[in-house]
Amino acid sequence: MEIVLALAIGILTGSGVWLILRPRTFQVIVGLSLMSYAVNLFIYAMGRLRVDAPPIAESGVAADPSQYADPLPQALVLTAIVISFAMTALLLVVLLASRGLTGTDHVDGKEPD
Amino acid sequence: MDGWRDHLIVAPILLPLAASGLMLLLDERRQTAKRAIGLAATFALLLISVQLLHDVVVAGLEGAPATRTYLIGDWPSPFGIVLVVDWLSALMLALTSILGFTSLVYATARWDSAGPRFHALFLLQLVGLNGAFLTGDLFNLFVFFEVLLAASYGLMLHGSGAARVKAGLHYVAINVATSLLFLIGAALIYGVAGTLNMADLATRIPAIAGTDLALFQAGMAVLGVAFLVKAGMWPLGFWLPPTYSAATPPAAALFAILSKVGLYAVLRVFLLLFGTEDSPMPNFGEEFLLYGGMATIAFGTIGLLACRTLSRLVGFSVLISSGTLLAALGSGEGAVLGAVLFYLVSSTLAIGAFYLLVELVERQETDSVASGMVEAVFDDEYTGAIHPGEDGEVGTVIPATIAILGGGFIFCALLLAGMPPLSGFIAKFAIIHGLLALDHQIPLSTWSLVALIIISGLATLIATSRAGIDLIWAPTDKPQPVLRVAEAAPVGLLLAICLALMVFAGPVMNYMERTGRSLEDRQGYIQAVKGVERVHPPVPSSR
Amino acid sequence: MSDDGVLWLMLALPFAGSLTAAFLPVRARNAAGVLAGAVALAGTFLTAILYSRISGGEVIRAEIEWLPSLGLNLLLRLDGLSWIFAFLVLAVGFLVVLYARYYMSPEDPVPRFFSFLLAFMGSMLGLVVAGNLVQLAFFWELTSLFSFLLIGYWHHNQSARDAARMALIVTAAGGLCLLIGLLLIGKIVGSYDLDVALASGDLVRSSELYVPALILILIGAFTKSAQFPFHFWLPHAMAAPTPVSAYLHSATMVKAGVFVLILLWPVLAGTDIWYLIVSTTGLATLLFGAWAAMFQQDLKGLLAYSTISHLGLITLLLGLGSPLAAVAAIFHTLNHATFKASLFMAAGIVDHETGTRDLRKLSGLSKFMPITATLAMVAAAAMAGVPLLNGFLSKEMFLAEALDQHRGTIIDQALPVLATLALAFSVLYSLRFIHQSFFGPPPVGLPREPREPPGWMRLPIEILVLACLIVGIVPALTIGPFLDTAVRSVLHERTPQYSLAIWHGFTAPLLLSFIALASGTAGYLMFRERLNRRESAPLMRRLKGRKAFEAVLAAIMSVARALERLLGTRSLQSQLRLLALIALLAALLPFMRDGYSLGSHPGTIVDPGFAVIWIVGGACAVGAAWQAKYHRLAALILMAGAGLASCISFVWLSAPDLAITQLLVETVTTVLLLLGLRWLPRRLKEVWPENRTPWQVKLRRGSDLAIAVAAGAGMTLLAYAIMSRTPPDSISREFVARSYPEGGGTNVVNVILVDFRSFDTLGEISVLGIVALTVFSLLRRFRPAAESVATPDQQLVQDAHDDARKDRRIGDTLADYLLVPRVLMQWLFPVILVLALYLFIRGHDMPGGGFAAGITLSVGLILQYMALGTRRAEDRLRMRPIRWIGLGFLVALATGAGAWLFDHPFLTSWFRYLELPIFGSVPLASALLFDLGVFLVVVGATALILIALAHQSIRTPRAGGIAPLDPAQSRID
Repeated sequence: MEIVLALAIGILTGSGVWLILRPRTFQVIVGLSLMSYAVNLFIYAMGRLRVDAPPIAESGVAADPSQYADPLPQALVLTAIVISFAMTALLLVVLLASRGLTGTDHVDGKEPD
Repeated sequence: MDGWRDHLIVAPILLPLAASGLMLLLDERRQTAKRAIGLAATFALLLISVQLLHDVVVAGLEGAPATRTYLIGDWPSPFGIVLVVDWLSALMLALTSILGFTSLVYATARWDSAGPRFHALFLLQLVGLNGAFLTGDLFNLFVFFEVLLAASYGLMLHGSGAARVKAGLHYVAINVATSLLFLIGAALIYGVAGTLNMADLATRIPAIAGTDLALFQAGMAVLGVAFLVKAGMWPLGFWLPPTYSAATPPAAALFAILSKVGLYAVLRVFLLLFGTEDSPMPNFGEEFLLYGGMATIAFGTIGLLACRTLSRLVGFSVLISSGTLLAALGSGEGAVLGAVLFYLVSSTLAIGAFYLLVELVERQETDSVASGMVEAVFDDEYTGAIHPGEDGEVGTVIPATIAILGGGFIFCALLLAGMPPLSGFIAKFAIIHGLLALDHQIPLSTWSLVALIIISGLATLIATSRAGIDLIWAPTDKPQPVLRVAEAAPVGLLLAICLALMVFAGPVMNYMERTGRSLEDRQGYIQAVKGVERVHPPVPSSR
Repeated sequence: MSDDGVLWLMLALPFAGSLTAAFLPVRARNAAGVLAGAVALAGTFLTAILYSRISGGEVIRAEIEWLPSLGLNLLLRLDGLSWIFAFLVLAVGFLVVLYARYYMSPEDPVPRFFSFLLAFMGSMLGLVVAGNLVQLAFFWELTSLFSFLLIGYWHHNQSARDAARMALIVTAAGGLCLLIGLLLIGKIVGSYDLDVALASGDLVRSSELYVPALILILIGAFTKSAQFPFHFWLPHAMAAPTPVSAYLHSATMVKAGVFVLILLWPVLAGTDIWYLIVSTTGLATLLFGAWAAMFQQDLKGLLAYSTISHLGLITLLLGLGSPLAAVAAIFHTLNHATFKASLFMAAGIVDHETGTRDLRKLSGLSKFMPITATLAMVAAAAMAGVPLLNGFLSKEMFLAEALDQHRGTIIDQALPVLATLALAFSVLYSLRFIHQSFFGPPPVGLPREPREPPGWMRLPIEILVLACLIVGIVPALTIGPFLDTAVRSVLHERTPQYSLAIWHGFTAPLLLSFIALASGTAGYLMFRERLNRRESAPLMRRLKGRKAFEAVLAAIMSVARALERLLGTRSLQSQLRLLALIALLAALLPFMRDGYSLGSHPGTIVDPGFAVIWIVGGACAVGAAWQAKYHRLAALILMAGAGLASCISFVWLSAPDLAITQLLVETVTTVLLLLGLRWLPRRLKEVWPENRTPWQVKLRRGSDLAIAVAAGAGMTLLAYAIMSRTPPDSISREFVARSYPEGGGTNVVNVILVDFRSFDTLGEISVLGIVALTVFSLLRRFRPAAESVATPDQQLVQDAHDDARKDRRIGDTLADYLLVPRVLMQWLFPVILVLALYLFIRGHDMPGGGFAAGITLSVGLILQYMALGTRRAEDRLRMRPIRWIGLGFLVALATGAGAWLFDHPFLTSWFRYLELPIFGSVPLASALLFDLGVFLVVVGATALILIALAHQSIRTPRAGGIAPLDPAQSRID
């Protein structure tokens, strides 16, 4: 699994980076979203992988950590997801405003000459 | 824990958050109520931060450990989130609240009406800043970075208009990308060291196995890049001058501290983790700071001489200030640390004051606040965007407006150029003194740094004198700009503080040097954070 | 009062006076004048008091602790030298104030003038009594500053502004050099205390930092004392009011450089390099200034250049390095101050009374203003070095030194000749000054009818000229002792034998000065006519200091502009490119050193299903990257595909919470982007000339591709390196272990979010709220681009269809469009509500939680908007999203602060399990309340964003859609 996930992270990052280097605002926003997918998986991977480990501790007793997928990276990812969602929304609106005010969707607010 | 004094540590985060929450319940039209709440909150913040500063100083004088901690949720230190007040964070908090209060007062004169929800955003900006300065947890630092960034996007775009939106697009895009770097770095560090608490991290570093070291350093390096983007280091800081000069003056003035957050992070994290002694990688990345900083000073100087407008000029002096700080840090002289902090405070205040002043000096008859489309979108819509014709409306017009503006301008210019009589001179002298202080052979890099600092000062003088003479001395048919007390007073206050820094340079410098020592004394911080006891250890009966 | 007190008072008075004057009413010229005069007089008096102690060769030191840790204390130090300079500053200051009171016109707002003048006086005092090297530099810069303000006093004239700025930049730049030089001295001797520095001359001269320090200090001194080639600012500074010229630019400020040279003479002088630099500079300045002075047509211009030349003379004397020369230097400094100040005042009177300073226009004024004429003549004679006047004495000393051998260099050989030449010049221009303006036929065509000025205006000149006379006649009895104290305080045991007698018998110097007098006079008689015809001095076209200065400044600007374009960028692409590259390098470097290695952690076996998912997912990502330019919708769908892949992998890797949240966020993001798509312009294929992509574009794409691939590879390697290592002893063990016993929840992730690290969540919801507010306020000013507001084609078709049919009204089809799914969506709403509630409640134990619930609810809301259309949806339910956000903040905070009641830290949690009849055991934790806050903010924020965006389609665009005018635009160049 590890190698697959690592490759997945790589591909997502690569496509994302390619896109944020493009001149059109929409490309940039898609690129950033792809990169944030990659980063989320990356953070998760930092806790190492566990397949079919019980996600929920059974009630009543103190659980044995070794039985579970590392919960902390998951918590971090959750926070990261929310924040990147917010930022995507913001960026979208900014690029719409820029499109509206400057009349172009070029990232520099003016067509290259 | 002894009651409110301990809870005071968390207040700088909670108070503005609560205040902004309260504002959001208020209808958009209740502008005065919001002004009242905002001013009250920022003023309270001022008092709180002064109290915290005072506590630190008192503790320091008694020789007691000045570092105080606060366990969020009463969860024990390594894995709960800890807030830490020490010499440095207390200083930064005070600086933030001073700038916050003054710029908000300034904003109430006109700018807060340039768009909806200014006050809430402003307070949330303070939440982010204070959180970043207080937290002792790496990921929590990230979260507060995001808070202050998000708020800064809001403030930066406040008032809209093509220029702001264009600059804002770059600002947002670059910083979102940077935040991803921050995440990658933090995640790597967790993956290698298994902790997020900075003090815990510092203790774990020696244990990191040789093969993991490269990974860990990669994480730190990526993290460093993220910090340096915020600090505006060349070549990562091109976004800074346009962004700041597009923002409304009060926002820009508050941003003066924003660019210092990155520096704070570098100071905090890198000195804690890679402080001189017993770390497997002493002085990690120091030379990058040195040369990067020097490049930043050079670029800032160039831009300063090249730019044609005052607001951009100030933007470039932000770069110079950052560069000077970075380079001085990178020079690796412990002696210079105190001076660096002194310079940080002095230049931040000066830049804040200058941003507030620039708009007054450059103010034209046509006012930017105007022309907001006022149409009800839905119930919570903000109608009555701006009081029409406010431009003509005269607040308290002070006679000899020009004299006041001119005086303020000269002082700001002198502060940034590092010339007497204000604190700028002391700051630069102190840094150079520190750089030359060591007894062994002074390396070439240090010489060139000194030269750069001097040259940048001279360039500032050349540029500001040109701009100032044209704007203030040259006879003009423009009607005298209207100057309200609410606009003049904040500038005056900031400059007065700089004067105070000058007059009481001795005690102030003592504080800064104590701060510098506390930063070098890693064990002190680590003990304070890891040794802290839970207030109420869990009792079995509670279950 | 103690002497220290007197010293402090002396320094404090002018500044206090300056502040007071600044606040005087604009027209209060008398008050301001009296104030300034009183201050100066009091200062003079105080100085006089202190002399009794100085005379014994004692040094008064008054110290106040200021910045001890950096060895910088406020330290006043008064010895013979500083005393005589202080006296000069204050006494001349008083006379200048008196003069200025009558010189400045009644319309002038003089309080400001006097305020600046007093401030300068204070700074100059501070400079001469500074006992600390840094303090010296401090006041040095202050004098530059106030000289700037005084030169620019009449800032409505362009010339004044330019001159002021030039003077400021030149002298301040010098000041910075001086500062560094002094800091170096301080470093060498290990203290900034002046006395320490003075005591350790040998140490300094032997240090390897001596040369840089010397050069820096000399640059400072030369710029201030207008030495060649830094002289050019001084003539232009004549744009200042004449009192300023008399005070700053002849008597005091320009002497600051000389003062520092004298002060540090014991430390720095005596080496070859000192001799070489200082004496050559001095000599060059002496000759150049004198030469230029002859050709001036402006009275003040002539005096300015003569000042330059006399300063050169003093510098030259100091350069020679012999004690006697130093004595001569000090002596001449005083003499020059007296006669030059009086000459400036005289020139001012002429200017004032006749309305011109042009030597060619002036003539025969002695008949109209005999007294002034006489005074001017005496002063000029002193300047020319006529016997029985003070100028003569110091000039004799100078000639004696010129004839003396010092280093046996070429300078020594040439000196007698050149010195005589320079003196001849000075005779010539002094003669010209007098003869042109006061003798000859009565003047014609003067702007004003010349007459004697008021007596008070003449008084200062009378006093100064008197000084010239008595010093000239009985030097030993008058200036003698004071000079001696000054000299001793500098030279100490090296003080030479010198006599101030007027008559030394027929000596070589006497002969030389006779030659100078004679040839100067002859020269004037020969060339006067030709001199009057010249516009500028010959041989000087090459030496246009001002032009050079401005050229340099202009060059700096343009170079800076070029460099900024070269080293900076304003394009987002290149900035992001740099960011990516630097991040890559930063991450790469450690591996360059330590190498890249994998760990030995037993990995999990690859499941083919998982691989397939990511083959698809990866394809989606690449597809999105490829399509995003021309087919946005496709790209959006592909992106969602990649997102889905990561959702599934989260499920696969036992992280259900992530899966749920990712899925929900996925949905909302997609809706958002879909709402946004409509406002983007139609993308046309870009056509390159003879449709071939230019190589620059290819190159850029190539490099971007390389960066992208490198970044991807880097992340893969990093991720794999970590995953292949055995996990460290992580803090998360604690979380799992404590989750149920102390957190009261079995869903560890959720417990972390709402309890262990709830502070993160607090920040997270703040971000959400902030962004929503930003979006909201930004969209209120939203201007859709003109072409993107037309009704969609589909709708046009539908309306056309309705139009064609009798039985339908326009819009019916639109209303019926997708009727069934819309009804379904409306029915779905309650279901979604319940689902949200369910997710919320179970969050603490099972996957879900406030965030998931919030997003779910807002999805429900957006469905309603889709189903009913914006307006009808809002008729049904009035959302006040912003209030929701605010409420959410407060609920979360209140929950956290609740702990304070039990004297617990913020956000300390509390929980119980409640046994309810139907539901069974329901967790009842304070964390749940906190989660409610989260829920509220999420709903509010998401709804606010979606609705605000949805609203754009129902607003009417403003014509042209031009942005509101904004100075921010004009501020960005």
